[in-house]
Amino acid sequence: MSNLTVTTFFSRWLEVLFNYRKHTGSWAWILHRITGLGLTLYIMVHIIALTGLLKGEAAFNEEMAMFKSPVFLFGEWLLGALVMFHSLNGVRIALVDFGNGARYHKQILAFVYVLGVLMVAGMAYLIFLH
Amino acid sequence: MRTYKFFGSRNSGAKNWYMQRISGIILVIVLIGHYVLMHATPDAGHTYKAVLERMHSPFWKGIDLTFVTLGLWHGLNGTWNVFRDYTLKPWLSNLIQILLILLGLTFWFIGLNTILSF
Repeated sequence: MSNLTVTTFFSRWLEVLFNYRKHTGSWAWILHRITGLGLTLYIMVHIIALTGLLKGEAAFNEEMAMFKSPVFLFGEWLLGALVMFHSLNGVRIALVDFGNGARYHKQILAFVYVLGVLMVAGMAYLIFLH
Repeated sequence: MRTYKFFGSRNSGAKNWYMQRISGIILVIVLIGHYVLMHATPDAGHTYKAVLERMHSPFWKGIDLTFVTLGLWHGLNGTWNVFRDYTLKPWLSNLIQILLILLGLTFWFIGLNTILSF
């Protein structure tokens, strides 16, 4: 594929994405997708980070001290927010697929957003103030 | 015998859909414990001594193995689900699947190596 066709393909894709009418579930779907891809990337970083355990106590403690810096704490909170949305909405998806959730999926989504915001605020307390 | 135009078209993805739900539910349950341990009691979660103590216990080893295996599978199967939403040429579809499987195996072995070294 030449550069031009890639650009045309991409701009058409964006056009479709922005022109689609977004219902409540569409946003949940978009967010679930973005958070899911982010978390997949994170679990790989996490696996690499934990190989630090093999380098002995000093190296590991030094690594953990680095994770206590403000930048990493903020990252931790952001990660917590991704996890929170993805797991709450994941429960919603399981309820829709396995239970009677299709009837109440909009109400469950409202619940997901409210509970999510509360939990992420709770995480901010645990991470920054505890 | 019928030749299929697209390889893998016999695979509806139903098993993957089902396992994605099941692994997701298990991950949510394990995650609650993980979060409480790592963030409500940061010292128990992050000091080398405490971590090593857990790493030597078969129970925690089991939890960690479950976590690594299901987490990677759920994440990479989810990534495959994203690709599946687009019409792909068979060769591209196969290539992406092979790359995702290799990626998963690589990180699975790195994780396994860390957990089973203790």
